[in-house]
Amino acid sequence: MTAIRDLAGFNAVHGAGLAKLMPPRPRIAVGMGTCGSGNGAEAVMHAFAEAIGQRGLDIDLVRTGCFGFCAEEPLVNVRLPGQPLVILHRVRVNHVERILDDLAAKTVTANLALCRIEKWNHLTSHVHYGNGFPEIPLWNEIPFFKGQKKIVLRNAGLINPDDIEEYVAVGGYQALYKVLIDGTPEAANEQIKESGLRGRGGAGYSTGLKWEFLRKAQAERKFLICNADEGDPGAYMNRNEIESDPHALIEGMAIGAYITGATDGVIYIRAEYPLAVHQLNHAIAQARDYGLLGKDILGRGFAFDIDVVEGAGAFVCGEETALIASLEGRAGRPRPRPPFPAQKGLWGYPTNINNVETWFNIAPIIACGPAWFAETGNGASAGTKVFSLVGKIRNTGLVEMPLGTPLGSFVHAVGGGSLNGQPVKAVQTGGPSGGCIPPDLFETPVDYESLGRLGAIMGSGGMVVMDEDNCMVDVARYFIQFTRSESCGKCTPCRVGLDKALRILTRITKGQGREEDLADLDELGRMIKETSLCGLGQTAPNSLLTTLRHFHDEFEDHIRAKRCRAGTCQDLALSPCENSCPLHMNIPRFLQLYKEGRLDDAFLSVIMDNPLPASTGRVCQHPCDNRCRRATLDEAVNMREVHRIIADRVLLTDAFDGVAARIAARRLPSSGRKVAVVGAGPAGLTAAFYLSLLGHEVTVFEAHAEPGGMLRYALPEYRLPKAVLDREIEIIRRLGVKFVFNALVGEDVSLNELDAGFDAVFLSIGTWKESWVYLPGTELAGVRPALPFLEGVATGEAMHLGHHVAVIGGGNAAIDSARTAIRLGATATVIYRRERKDMPAIEEEVEAAEQEGVRFQFLAAPHRIVGEHGEVKGIEVVKTRLGEFDTSGRRRPIPTDEVRMIRCSSVILAVGEAVDRDFCRASGLSLKEGGMLDVNRYTLETSREKFYAGGDLVTGASNISNAMGYGKEAARHIDGRLSGGERFDDILPQFSYDHATPDPDPCRRHRGRDLPAQTRARTFTEAVQTLLPEEAAHEAARCLRCDIRENSSHTDSHI
Amino acid sequence: MPSQITVRIDGVLCTATEGQTIFEVAEANGKVIPSLCHMEGVSPAGSCRLCLVEVAGVDRLLPACTTPAQRGMAVTTTSDRLVRHRRLALELMFVERNHVCAVCVSNGHCELQALAMSLGVTYVRYPYNSPRLPVDVSHPRFVLDHNRCILCSRCVRVCDEIEGAHVWDIGGRGIGSRVVAELDQPWGDSQACTSCGKCVQVCPTGALVEKGYGVEEMTRSNSAVARLAMKKGAAS
Repeated sequence: MTAIRDLAGFNAVHGAGLAKLMPPRPRIAVGMGTCGSGNGAEAVMHAFAEAIGQRGLDIDLVRTGCFGFCAEEPLVNVRLPGQPLVILHRVRVNHVERILDDLAAKTVTANLALCRIEKWNHLTSHVHYGNGFPEIPLWNEIPFFKGQKKIVLRNAGLINPDDIEEYVAVGGYQALYKVLIDGTPEAANEQIKESGLRGRGGAGYSTGLKWEFLRKAQAERKFLICNADEGDPGAYMNRNEIESDPHALIEGMAIGAYITGATDGVIYIRAEYPLAVHQLNHAIAQARDYGLLGKDILGRGFAFDIDVVEGAGAFVCGEETALIASLEGRAGRPRPRPPFPAQKGLWGYPTNINNVETWFNIAPIIACGPAWFAETGNGASAGTKVFSLVGKIRNTGLVEMPLGTPLGSFVHAVGGGSLNGQPVKAVQTGGPSGGCIPPDLFETPVDYESLGRLGAIMGSGGMVVMDEDNCMVDVARYFIQFTRSESCGKCTPCRVGLDKALRILTRITKGQGREEDLADLDELGRMIKETSLCGLGQTAPNSLLTTLRHFHDEFEDHIRAKRCRAGTCQDLALSPCENSCPLHMNIPRFLQLYKEGRLDDAFLSVIMDNPLPASTGRVCQHPCDNRCRRATLDEAVNMREVHRIIADRVLLTDAFDGVAARIAARRLPSSGRKVAVVGAGPAGLTAAFYLSLLGHEVTVFEAHAEPGGMLRYALPEYRLPKAVLDREIEIIRRLGVKFVFNALVGEDVSLNELDAGFDAVFLSIGTWKESWVYLPGTELAGVRPALPFLEGVATGEAMHLGHHVAVIGGGNAAIDSARTAIRLGATATVIYRRERKDMPAIEEEVEAAEQEGVRFQFLAAPHRIVGEHGEVKGIEVVKTRLGEFDTSGRRRPIPTDEVRMIRCSSVILAVGEAVDRDFCRASGLSLKEGGMLDVNRYTLETSREKFYAGGDLVTGASNISNAMGYGKEAARHIDGRLSGGERFDDILPQFSYDHATPDPDPCRRHRGRDLPAQTRARTFTEAVQTLLPEEAAHEAARCLRCDIRENSSHTDSHI
Repeated sequence: MPSQITVRIDGVLCTATEGQTIFEVAEANGKVIPSLCHMEGVSPAGSCRLCLVEVAGVDRLLPACTTPAQRGMAVTTTSDRLVRHRRLALELMFVERNHVCAVCVSNGHCELQALAMSLGVTYVRYPYNSPRLPVDVSHPRFVLDHNRCILCSRCVRVCDEIEGAHVWDIGGRGIGSRVVAELDQPWGDSQACTSCGKCVQVCPTGALVEKGYGVEEMTRSNSAVARLAMKKGAAS
């Protein structure tokens, strides 16, 4: 190959390249970056080569880089002459024959097509592939790509990185040609300055200014270094950039050399990137052959060449002075600046270091001008930035977004939301040196300054999404562990400080944290940040300091309550199910006991963990299901149904009296202390059960005529037969708990009277006030809130619903109301403003309602209730569309102009319940925002001495197991107060049972039997029948026993 | 001829020669800035981070030992924040290894101990790491006790820059960093060591000591080394 020395030479290469890029025959390009290869692209490539060879097809087969959508790999580009480029996704070896068949038939395989590209702006040139295939979406119609702007990744995944001619074909090296032919270094330097380009390694210093220092430095040699020592866990932008488009880096550096007068270039790249290293060496050799590097570049007498140096992978070598030390053959330890590298760098010569991505921006700035570049971005942060979007997110991949894009757009719009529908808890930006940002700050624009203000950094562009399964203490521990082991050890704060921080964090994750740890960590973090020698130490505490700031509660949970909500910290949880259960039931234990055929023991295990096991066995929201590890094999264990049958087989049979006596016998001797419990709902009953067992004299005050609260009055009979509830409450009665009914605290009994008559008071009043929507027409007869409706049905009141009922809302109360209405002989439509998947109601309940004939109107908001003669005739609903994502990760419904009428004879408003604010206000206790009682998160103490509160009264409307969890915690703390000791765990029974690791057979989950929809919709008989005893034993045996530890003893140990 | 400039240190106007570091200017003006890695006559390491000072108009704290004094600079050498950081840095040095003064030959003549006393570090709030570290007694005249080492690297620099032997360097990294002789071999096996003892003279703690001394008996003279360094500087 002869070197390019003039425009004619240039044009010849350009033409040759275009003929390869758009040949007059089909072309297949397989995305074979490291990411593609990891997903099987190599095999796909081989299969294509073999099949094309065997069939003797006239098809060009090349490799290309990565187009960025890692979640959809392997990606394969196919193009027929004159047609658009079509990107196929998730291509497997067995698709190859079909793809070739289709190409032979002059078409593309539509069901593998991700998107099509008709024309592409490579910035340095435009390529028009052709029009057609309108059924395949355009690339920027795909949500993942929408909003992206490809400057750095302009060629990635489109051209063949092995072939310099294809790079030239899309305008490559023209910017270099331009500065060499008609620019002066000074003018070009001005352009870089004007563009506002800032260093993409993370520090964000003006590239043009930095280059000016080097240009003005006087020396016989000057060095340009490209920092490709990308080492952040989860970040692979630079790897992909080099693998996909190595010439863009070389061209950027050559332009930089011309501007700064540098004589030598070095690319410092980590040895763990073998493909990128290979690609670079190959590209540099090609560039020399074509006269684009070497002694006489483009025949203009300009000399510059590049060496590739492989780093051994120390993270600190990304720091510029450590990188230079490493290049000189010394240990990679930073030195203080000044002198700066521009004064005294590699081998003592003036040196400039830029990140890979900075170099990638140079050619487009020269080609399109600084003003064009500055258009994109956010004022002081111009241009785009490539981020590697990874973690608990649906669309993982490399995304290039304009700087200043709100963080939330990355998560929701581009990323498609969290991986398994759980709320996103945080985004960690900037790798191990970055910070964690919580969802309420997702509107923050992603630019250098805004992230810096939050204590995070842009870094080189790592973006890790975390959800509720990520423990933030563990996240901090992980990143500190990383930086601690990557610290060079030179300066004291980073060497010893990070080690100390890691020891403290590890202790906290093991449940051995102390109160003073948080202040110590904070001071340590600040000190390391302010006093460390280099960037590594100065940024290493960011992850710790931001999690301390934004997730303080989680640290406190670990230290005070010894709980890890995410269940990540193994020493703080028995098993994922136990950890997710608000009552912290020892689920593996009762499953094992039942499996061993020990029904009585299983029952005792269940009821001592959960005093209402038959009720919760029917209506619990079962958070345990979502955490069950069995789900990774087939389906989650049906833990709720097993404890339902355990409870039923004892409570509803002759065994009842014996077992009730066995429980009553566990009661500790009387303490002589008196406790008042206000409210006989799940929280109150639970507290009463435990407090009585602990020997206290308990009196429960209840406003209704019977105990049970929401369980009795809000849950319909077909979900929870009241006979079952009565049996459970009977056990509590037999413990000696006294009930005072029809006693409204605040009116019939005052708090002062309780204060005078009792040693402690537990307030557990439910959310009995309906939220109300203010619509025209709510004054009509036939419009009622859900709760009084359900309560009326439960107490046998006659309800006149008419023929059709409209239920407004998407929660459990809405579904319960609709299903109840059906049972009362009406038909029902549920009107909900979002989509089905956004409904807070239990999924099984929604399904059952559907089977029973309940109709659903999604994306509809009530507009007006239409009446005639004071009676409901119908309801007008506005169609909604879904807008931006809110902090709950759901799209916000926005009303449109489209109104339609639904005819109905009554309307039930199930739009949420609230606490009785008047009671709270009148109580004189301190309140928090929203009118709920303010209690100490750990002790549940209110602002008044000896008054405790829990359940809906402090959380707002929640669910039965959450309320019971509060009741149990309150009993623990009230007893601690009354007895002055820690006796709670002493009343819990201990069991010996098998701790052998199970070897479970593959087996689907057993479900309770639904009565046929036709039958059940006509009666209030329980809709779901329990498992058969042998099915339940089978189900119990499906448990993987996550509670078993290597050194597990055969009896219980306290958690 | 470098020009004379004026800087303000703790409010006092001081005359300095351009190119002098803040540390040197302060010292020449009778101001003591705490430091353990700095040593006159050898290149600065900037690693102990005790000499950090505040400079008006600069957000970050700057190490006095490597920051050149500039015309009009206003330096604060002591503030609440600086003292807090210095104390914590000393605490970290104490917890890192096994500094047991009562049985140390340098007790009473130890720069670490003296600095802790002057900054009022009377206890450390973190548990001690108590690592198990070796003591190298292979050299006929000297001892290297890793338990007392704070990795100031004075020995490394003095051996390399003044004696020209470069016996010492730092091996490993992070919390596992250790002073090593040659390629991490016993000191006594070192071919390059001239047994000049400069490293022992400059060690701020009891890490490098001469054999034959009991508790509290080891005293040093690093000013002699500094004089040598000056001579070397003048000669070259």
